[in-house]
Amino acid sequence: MKNILQDRDSLTLIGAMLGLALILGLMSMPLAMLPAPIGPAAEQFSDGALTTIKLTLVSAVIGLVLGVVTAMGKRSHVAPLRWLADFYVWVIRGTPLLLQILFFFLAVPALLQDLNIPLQISEFWTAVIALSLNVGAYNAEVIRAGINAVPHGQIEAARSLGLNPLFTFWDVVLPQAVRISLPPLANNMVALLKDSSLAYAIGVVELSMVSSRVQAESF
Amino acid sequence: MSTRTGKQIIRIENVRKAWGSFTALNGVSVTFREGEVVCIIGPSGSGKSTLLRTINRLERQDSGHIIVDGITLDDDLKSIDAVRAEVGMVFQSFNLFAHKTVLDNITLAPRRVRHWNREKAEQVALELLQRVGLAAHAHKYPAQLSGGQQQRVAIARALAMQPKIMLFDEPTSALDPEMVNEVLQVMRDLAKSGMTMLIVTHEMGFARDVADRVIFFDHGNIVEESDDPRTFFSGPQHPRAQSFLTSYSGL
Ligand SMILES: Nc1ncnc2c1ncn2[C@@H]1O[C@H](COP(=O)(O)OP(=O)(O)O)[C@@H](O)[C@H]1O
Ligand SMILES: [Mg+2]
Repeated sequence: MKNILQDRDSLTLIGAMLGLALILGLMSMPLAMLPAPIGPAAEQFSDGALTTIKLTLVSAVIGLVLGVVTAMGKRSHVAPLRWLADFYVWVIRGTPLLLQILFFFLAVPALLQDLNIPLQISEFWTAVIALSLNVGAYNAEVIRAGINAVPHGQIEAARSLGLNPLFTFWDVVLPQAVRISLPPLANNMVALLKDSSLAYAIGVVELSMVSSRVQAESF
Repeated sequence: MSTRTGKQIIRIENVRKAWGSFTALNGVSVTFREGEVVCIIGPSGSGKSTLLRTINRLERQDSGHIIVDGITLDDDLKSIDAVRAEVGMVFQSFNLFAHKTVLDNITLAPRRVRHWNREKAEQVALELLQRVGLAAHAHKYPAQLSGGQQQRVAIARALAMQPKIMLFDEPTSALDPEMVNEVLQVMRDLAKSGMTMLIVTHEMGFARDVADRVIFFDHGNIVEESDDPRTFFSGPQHPRAQSFLTSYSGL
């Protein structure tokens, strides 16, 4: 069936992506044999690749949940939930990722300090927050489109059988929506892998340097 | 027929429904008795589907009362779910769950709503599939079936909830002509078994043979009603019914 083929395509894509990242990570072994300056730096190189994979996986899972929840929020009968979901997607899609990453690395810690909140978030988790919020908004659009593509007649049929809205969503809408959304979701995951190296690169750069440079450029 | 004296099972009192300035139901009052087979006919857009859909609250009436098997359909969600579990509905476009096998289509609601275990739900489902002549197709997906087969599955799916009332909204209108009869035959058998059935249809021959009562709809109102379908189809009283039936004179 066509659906299963599509599923397989998407899974292959994600698999290949992770495989590639893994190869990059393992490449440090042969590289380490090489003389300086490459040899000693190989370890750092592989650390970077592995952190990127970890970052991608964690952000992907959170981003998926966030995407489903936001897509449901956009369809909610409760207006404030709808507004919140719309606002979130609008902000994320309307601003560049680089700005969002800088916001979480630079502005949020400063804000926490100003507000006297003694909360220290590690670089890794700062990157996770920025990335999952970003991919979550894009996933929400994709999942919403998937939900809308489920024929309304099937929802009416489910309701007419006495299934409540929760079972209707869980048993009828979500499985088909996810299947429809899988290819574009896979695209989002590929983008996430690329973005996570961006976040990682920013995170490991001396933050004070970045911030002073940003300040110098902005003021 | 005993249905003339059967107890009231659906009572509709002065029900109105409008979309903007368009009135789909214009103060409809009608009652249906247990075991009765009622065919609802009338031109497109006259409110036939809307009437069926208010009975299980796929549409909410603007005013008026609907009482189904003693349960008043108000805004109480429990009463809506209770009514829906007692009322089966079959749609023009089948509306089978595309990602589920025939068997899973049928067992989903009994398991979720009636809390039957899988074994019992599947046993009932297989009996129903036998009844609609599709026992061999239990593990296929809807896309692998013809339209007529899909509609028979949809009927079995609704029957699996053991409803007291079955609503049919133009069940054969989306079918190729050669598949119409297999679906009508299932409905004839169901009518013989004593099921209460409200059927919106353009199959005049079927309505004449099977209906205990015929209701003719026009502009959101019942304009003619007959306990004697043969007489109605050979000589309707209302001018709209006359001109409508003339256009179906192939009967
Ligand atoms: N959800 C809706 N929104 C707006 N108009 C509707 C809706 N559903 C039905 N209608 C209108 O109500 C009228 C009656 O519809 P319906 O009950 O489906 O007629 P019938 O089944 O007799 O053809 C139609 O003209 C249709 O345009
Ligand atoms: Mg209709």
